Amino acid sequence: MTALLESLSNELAAAVETAGRAVVAIHARRRIPASGVSWRPGVIVATNHTIRRDDNITVTLPDGTSAPATLAGRDPSTDLAVLKLPGQSLASASLRRDGPPRVGELVIALGRPGARLTASWGIVSGVAGPWRTWQGGEIDSLLRLDLSIYDGFSGGPLIDAAGRVLGINTSGLARGAPVTIPVTTVDRTAAELLERGSIRRAYLGIGTQPVRVPQSLARRLELTNAMGLLIASVEPGGPADRDGVLLGDVLLALDGAEVSDPTDLLAKLGGDRVGRTVAARVIRGGQVKTLQVTPGERPERRAA
Amino acid sequence: MRAITTSGLAEELATVVDELRAVTVQVWADAQHGTDAAASGAGVLWDPQGSNGRGLVITNAHVVRGAQATVGLGDGAVLPARVVARDRKRDLAALEFESSSAMFAQLREVPLQVGELVIAVGHPGGLVGVAALGIVHVAEDGRDDRRPRWIRADLRLAPGFSGGPLADMSGKVIGINAMVHGSLALAVPVTTVESWLRRAQAPAA
Repeated sequence: MTALLESLSNELAAAVETAGRAVVAIHARRRIPASGVSWRPGVIVATNHTIRRDDNITVTLPDGTSAPATLAGRDPSTDLAVLKLPGQSLASASLRRDGPPRVGELVIALGRPGARLTASWGIVSGVAGPWRTWQGGEIDSLLRLDLSIYDGFSGGPLIDAAGRVLGINTSGLARGAPVTIPVTTVDRTAAELLERGSIRRAYLGIGTQPVRVPQSLARRLELTNAMGLLIASVEPGGPADRDGVLLGDVLLALDGAEVSDPTDLLAKLGGDRVGRTVAARVIRGGQVKTLQVTPGERPERRAA
Repeated sequence: MRAITTSGLAEELATVVDELRAVTVQVWADAQHGTDAAASGAGVLWDPQGSNGRGLVITNAHVVRGAQATVGLGDGAVLPARVVARDRKRDLAALEFESSSAMFAQLREVPLQVGELVIAVGHPGGLVGVAALGIVHVAEDGRDDRRPRWIRADLRLAPGFSGGPLADMSGKVIGINAMVHGSLALAVPVTTVESWLRRAQAPAA
């Protein structure tokens, strides 16, 4: 008799079936469709990189019918997109909000790359703290998975053995490797996308490169950190240009925090910094100088 | 820490694997194989349905080449076998051998659910009776009868699994492993095997 094993198998299948009622197919690119999750009534969460057009988006529901959806907003930095799907009686996902899963937990990734639900299983192989994507998106925890992903899985949910959603899977944030965007990050991003259509981020209009300040100069200027960011480009008419930042300045600190890597800069340019004047310490002509800069709102597709 | 459920699961899994190994044979593609040569694939002992004293093995067409083959049973017996039916499109072959053993696989024809656990047994890389665990990746598509239907499982298999059983957690065989597509295993459903067998055996009866 294998009663335990059969129960486990039945419970996994039941978890897939239940959670699958909130998983839809999203037709917004050529070739195969990608997946999306019914997050709450009328709202579908999907991945940005699988939505290649802004209009003419259709969704295949779990019952096999199709419905048009409209794009409410997208955020390349977290690879999330939100669609509105009014007038459908679609089940909403059951979300697990009690923090990140534990390493070793049994998980299932669901997708709907067409009419039929697909599943792949594995374990959570790594959990770490907050991280920042290469485009500056803030993800609350890093969830790495030991499971195989298949075409069209991006935008689908990662579920636990009870069918509760732990986050949205994407292959678009870690060079094709599966990563799960946790529920809290999806909640926050989806709320802002629904409200504003994009994620507000501050920007200065500069391109930077980390450099080591020569030891003699660092000693003379009494620097605590010998690393800085060389201003390698200044966008004409951008916030930094307007506030007098010059090509060749070496940025040491912004708003009181030392910057030695471009990601340090991104960390200081959250949406709440737009229009707020902050101090920028730079080396210019062998001297330390403090400038007052006011970040503007980042237009689409700009890094810092 | 006493992991009662996990220990129970581990024991039951070992039980299912033992049962499957008992109905999984090694298949060599020809009549004269070297006993040290690795099997070219696996096969499943099938209900011979009253054919006197003969055993029936189902395997893949691509595992056997000519009219003769050799099967290796779980008890170590190595016997000559005759290829009695072969279908390249469905990738199925039926072998008969002289046997006094009445053992054969239990079949399941109940539809599969996405996410349920499945287990495969085969002989990859010369190892005999290797098991792999996975889940059903997608429900079978029953609407289109013209195309060959496959069971798709999220299950990593190697070449030596060809022709071996894919089974559920009660040890019932649900398909014959035939192909690997990335990290998906494709298996011929038992319903396809059964209907093919009926047709293949009909003229002889």
